[in-house]
Amino acid sequence: MPRVYVFSEDVQLAAELVATAATLSSDVHVVCLGSEAAATLFDAGASTVIALTAADSRAEAYAPALARLVSEREVDLLLIGATVTGWEIAGRAASILGCALVSGASTLRSLPDGQWQSERNMYAGAAVQTEIWTGLAVVTIARGQAVAVAARNDADTGITQLIEVEVDSRVQVVSRTVRERESVDLASAARVVCVGMGVSTAEDLALAQDLATSLGGEIACTRPVAEDRKWLPAERYIGISGVSVQPDLYVGLGVSGQVQHTIGIRDAKVVVGVNTNPDATLFGVCDFAVVGDLHEIAPLLASAIRANGVRPGARP
Amino acid sequence: MSRTVVCYKWVASESELRVNPETRAVDASHARRKISEYDRNTIEAARVAAGQLGGELVGLTFGGAESKSSLKDALARGVDRAVHIVADAGTRADGHVTANALAAQIGRIDDVGLVLCTEGASDTYAHETGPRIGQLLGWPVVTNVRELIVNGHRLRAVRVVGADAETVECDLPAVVSVVPEIGPAPIPGLRSVMAAGRKPAEQVPLADLALTRDALTARTTVTSFVGYIAERRHVLIADGDAREKVALLMSGLAQEGVI
Repeated sequence: MPRVYVFSEDVQLAAELVATAATLSSDVHVVCLGSEAAATLFDAGASTVIALTAADSRAEAYAPALARLVSEREVDLLLIGATVTGWEIAGRAASILGCALVSGASTLRSLPDGQWQSERNMYAGAAVQTEIWTGLAVVTIARGQAVAVAARNDADTGITQLIEVEVDSRVQVVSRTVRERESVDLASAARVVCVGMGVSTAEDLALAQDLATSLGGEIACTRPVAEDRKWLPAERYIGISGVSVQPDLYVGLGVSGQVQHTIGIRDAKVVVGVNTNPDATLFGVCDFAVVGDLHEIAPLLASAIRANGVRPGARP
Repeated sequence: MSRTVVCYKWVASESELRVNPETRAVDASHARRKISEYDRNTIEAARVAAGQLGGELVGLTFGGAESKSSLKDALARGVDRAVHIVADAGTRADGHVTANALAAQIGRIDDVGLVLCTEGASDTYAHETGPRIGQLLGWPVVTNVRELIVNGHRLRAVRVVGADAETVECDLPAVVSVVPEIGPAPIPGLRSVMAAGRKPAEQVPLADLALTRDALTARTTVTSFVGYIAERRHVLIADGDAREKVALLMSGLAQEGVI
């Protein structure tokens, strides 16, 4: 029975990883910072909750302590939540342990002969790579890729261990500010209108917003629109490092269609692209590729939709 | 006058990969090779940081013989010296091997104050190399950085952590991995391209780094690599005026049952 350790500073993700680990083994232990989340993690199926404590509250500072623990306890697999913090901890822990790291696994299974197998996206999703290994590995898994936590009525409270550890406090936090944040849930929007860099003025953005409104949908964007132009908050960009969406309808306006973006729209039921460039890469992954000027198409489409009415979305 | 090292990767252009729709086999043989897109932003950020640090900027890459072609491009983009650690044909390099090779070479360069990497390369995008190198060198690691200022023997960085911006500081030497928003990646001008030919470029055989067999043994084995095929209807609406196009689109959307 492989021994699986789980770590994420994000308690919900840690619970999902425990549920994922429980599909692979019944010897599942979770490491967390502080013991407040213990009940949630036991509920998800952990046999032991190991709460690390130290003077430093910065999660990344615990990377060496986590690696030491894994090394001492003869762990076979360390699952870490794929977050900004988790990526750093995973890389450092894998280096300390001299082991494999599978970053952002989409599948993970144990093979009969003690081997493990995992799949992950390559080239921003243009390809899928399958890897196998034996022995200890660190695997990071993102939210949505992990197994959802099922409510368990028979959950026992397991053992909680409190361990005081030495941490690496060489990086100090000076300040932390909240970037403009909206409570938008793009991932569950039934219709999404996405603006790319081809949408070049604030007036164009208003056209896109109006189209989204006509559809009763959400506006979204590509990474540079949010991160470089800062026209929309970061929660609204779709792609490999942003949100993945599953709407019934996705309309891309002036979206070139780089694979880093299109990986986030794979699960859309219908994809529409509007672009003046007939060779736009997005057209290769579209159901309907409209070669045209968004200044003309977007308002006409919004009017047509208003005249036609919109079916209630499957995911309102 | 500490040195700055910037790590980059020579990769196949992702837009030129060909996927066989039947077998899903990926053909990269016709894809041009390039310095990974986001690494170009990192090289420019490293140039700025090296200016603040006041020392030489060394470009460093690890790869097979074909990566030699990257040296001139890196030099044109502003590194003062470019170093290619040459993997022998047949070397299987995962994140473990790559980080060991890069860290070993960085250890052979005198007086390095700062190492810059990108969060991920356009092929693997694993967020792995920076943290691994930092750990191997025993230096502090700062990841997901979008703003960086080097001042004396200390750095200040703004990290993107979820929806938050976190400002951190640490002493040098340090390893920093950055996101493309760190800054633009200017296309080198003719003068930079000409100057690149006069700057030093060297190739270091992997064997010269005296790494152990364990350090050079990949931890994972790739058993399959297949392309992704989007299953879409591919209806092209290009004819007629805007009204006609919208009418065609509306009829298609109605058929699909999404409006």
